[in-house]
Amino acid sequence: MTTSRSDLGPWAWARAAFIAFHLTAITLMALPAPGGGMSRTAWKTPTVQAEFRAWTGRVNAMGMDYTPAEFEDTLWDLASGLMKARSKVLAPFGTYYRYTGTAQSWRMFVAPHRFPARLEFRIEENGKWRTIYATRSPDFRWHAEHFDHDRMRSAVFRYAWPHYAAHYNRFSEYYGRMALREFPEATAFESRFFAYRTLSPEEAASGMDPDGNYGSSRVIRR
Amino acid sequence: MRRFAAFFDQREPATPLALYRILVGMSVISAIGSVVWAGLVPVIWHEIADGGMRKLVQGNPVIDALGGPTPQVVWGLVWASLLGGLAMVLGVGGRFSVLVTALAFRAVTSLNNHTGGSYDLLIANALFLCFLAPSTATLSLDCKLRTGAWTDDTPRPSWVRWLIVYQIVLVYWTTGLQKVSSHWVPGGDFSALYYILQQPSWHRFDMRWVSSFFLFTQIGTAVSWFWEVFAPLWGLSAYYAATAEREGKLRAWFNRMHVREVYLVLGVIFHLVIHALMNVGPFSMISLAFYPAFYGHDELTAAWSRLRSKG
Repeated sequence: MTTSRSDLGPWAWARAAFIAFHLTAITLMALPAPGGGMSRTAWKTPTVQAEFRAWTGRVNAMGMDYTPAEFEDTLWDLASGLMKARSKVLAPFGTYYRYTGTAQSWRMFVAPHRFPARLEFRIEENGKWRTIYATRSPDFRWHAEHFDHDRMRSAVFRYAWPHYAAHYNRFSEYYGRMALREFPEATAFESRFFAYRTLSPEEAASGMDPDGNYGSSRVIRR
Repeated sequence: MRRFAAFFDQREPATPLALYRILVGMSVISAIGSVVWAGLVPVIWHEIADGGMRKLVQGNPVIDALGGPTPQVVWGLVWASLLGGLAMVLGVGGRFSVLVTALAFRAVTSLNNHTGGSYDLLIANALFLCFLAPSTATLSLDCKLRTGAWTDDTPRPSWVRWLIVYQIVLVYWTTGLQKVSSHWVPGGDFSALYYILQQPSWHRFDMRWVSSFFLFTQIGTAVSWFWEVFAPLWGLSAYYAATAEREGKLRAWFNRMHVREVYLVLGVIFHLVIHALMNVGPFSMISLAFYPAFYGHDELTAAWSRLRSKG
């Protein structure tokens, strides 16, 4: 039941101009860019380093000659240049994005995080530490309704990265104070991450448990 | 340019736009309502002095105009988003409801940039497109009050339908282009989905059991990567279906092979699997909200008639 008119009035031309502008604006901003991934600290994490090693191998197989460190430096230079050029190109559209809500950023699951971290909270009571929360644990569920929510998952995911350390400190302080209020017997609270390498299919099938290390410990005392 | 302007000058009953409006409204309710339900509003959207966990992001013009992110302002925006979303589902208040929802939703979700996801951005874009569209012209309380019936087949400008199609194709295409990990791209082991499901940040429950189905995750990785990277074909297939009366071997082939339907079915499966196994908020719901726009009014009503006759 689509109908169309043979004559195009001024409104049709104005609308076409707006549509062309809109499509240009959103396409330019959506094009691939590293965005928030431009952090040299984040690039040093095991997950990202493993990607550099894998890609260096691939690039060298095509006749290049890079070490992973050289490849990383080259990518950093390229990405920095791209981000500068992108800023200039997008600048004229800034007001449009801001007032219409049409900003674009679709960097979703660009790579699996092979070295993720599980958040844990513990409290000290009578000189003994006791776990009260652990990510996705069926047993340690203190305020799990917060941490199971997707918005808080997003925050906790970020706080495991080293360049979010200052925010993680504030987060630990916040939940530490809350725990000390809710557990009157507790004398201290600890927030920490258990960082580990995710199991390969073979390792998981064999019943192996992930091997990792505790780190990023923050202790809040009463 | 004339052809471009003429294409966007077409009209049809606003059924696809109405379905889009309803699903976008539901996504808003889910995105905000779940935060209220989990008791997280003060935690993530209040200032530290008011019991929040971090310093909030400044600069949203709506919040500035309301005097800053006081608890009263934040809760006001939360309720405005929820009621606005409900008004969109019911189809009452026309563009005004959409505008209020968009302003409130964007204001409240702008407060904490650590607790958002891509779905916030996609909902914001969806609300803007909803505002441009005559989306309460049919399947709405507005329609019922105006005409006495729930539906109205009066042809309306349909250009926003194509912006909706373009937007979701752009999302899929550019997210696919950025999946550059050696676990995603051809030539690797296609293990991305398996390893993503092992990440505790997003999975709903322990996913080690997936190792027994590793081959299926590899197939899923390959299919979803190709599906996303070649998503512009979906947009093209919708255009070819809408212009089926024109000549062209490629157009005829696309229509004969039902490329549009193949893409749609894969997309629905893709989002249902994500929703079942992972908690990524209302991302699947808001993505699926764009899907009715791939079909015109006649196709949707015909599909509905077929469904009813079978039922």
